[in-house]
Amino acid sequence: MVDQTGESTKIRLRGGLSLTVVQINQIQKSINRLMEIVPAQYILLVDTSGQLVTTAGDKSMIDSSILGSLIAADLAASQEIARLTGEFQEYQMILREGDRTNIIISEAGKHLAFLVLFSRETPIGWARKLIQNAAKEIGAFVVQPVVATQEEQISPTEGNLPGLFNDALDQLWKD
Amino acid sequence: MFINWQLRQINLKVVYYGPALSGKTTNLEQIHARIDPTRRSDLVSLKTYEDRTLYFDFLQLELGKINGLTPKIQLYTVPGQAFYEASRRLVLRGADGVVFVADSGSNRINDNVDSWQNMKKHLISLDLDSDHLPVIVQFNKQDLPNALPAAFLQNILNCQKYKSILSVANIGQGVFDTLKAIISGVVANIQSETM
Repeated sequence: MVDQTGESTKIRLRGGLSLTVVQINQIQKSINRLMEIVPAQYILLVDTSGQLVTTAGDKSMIDSSILGSLIAADLAASQEIARLTGEFQEYQMILREGDRTNIIISEAGKHLAFLVLFSRETPIGWARKLIQNAAKEIGAFVVQPVVATQEEQISPTEGNLPGLFNDALDQLWKD
Repeated sequence: MFINWQLRQINLKVVYYGPALSGKTTNLEQIHARIDPTRRSDLVSLKTYEDRTLYFDFLQLELGKINGLTPKIQLYTVPGQAFYEASRRLVLRGADGVVFVADSGSNRINDNVDSWQNMKKHLISLDLDSDHLPVIVQFNKQDLPNALPAAFLQNILNCQKYKSILSVANIGQGVFDTLKAIISGVVANIQSETM
């Protein structure tokens, strides 16, 4: 959980992010509403290092972990270009036009980013405005104070964690 | 690190850093080849026409449940060529741990030092304090006839305080040890932060 200052209130993380079920449900509702009114075909929400938060729509053929890493990278490169050219602004967007569909990638506050895939028949200006509104709403959900459930207050980092990870890695590896 | 309580996932990001052609991509290729395909993503490489890393390579591993959460480990490499300075900094953003892959060849001393200092500079600019961020140093290409010994390379880089591992990544030697060492470092670091 992250409070209004961006600090974790439940688990102290220097650079990390922890989203509760309540926060993700709020975000999911916002994403579902965006899907409906754009209308969009697919939405993928990730954190700014590309880790999956949630999706809407059916793109089962797409590997969301790979797409997530590329969304984060695309946005990071675009932000850096804007910074170097002195044109940086918050809620940055990237538009990619295709033959049948368009894609907008947008920041959603400091911690999240999302990709929206929609038909080329949908006016870009309409989609852009709706996505910008949703981005601000989602960004606000992340920084609002939320009471964690009892389960979420249990630290997932207890026990001999390095040993447990070592064992789990051993099970994956084949020489 | 990102914890998604709805999906019950804990996500960690590890970046392989180092000079051009030191073996960063080779590490990921070896991991990709030796992990059960159902527990990893495809290996994504954003390359130039000359088959050199342009932006990054990416591979995600999924471990079995730990403390009720599924760990997902994202491995990235940076482009080693000096020209891609800005891209390297971007890939480091949000890293939970770094593997520095040094080329042990005696003709690559300056490249290793430049890359090490470059990494330190970027970590500071990203508020990733290298005194606390887990770093593993891998001395790769130990099979080269002109390979330098670890102690010499440690002195040159002034990296004695970090764990180092000898490797020949193109045959997989030292690759898994490096992966395990950095993950151990990352989770121990998280544990110390959250206790």
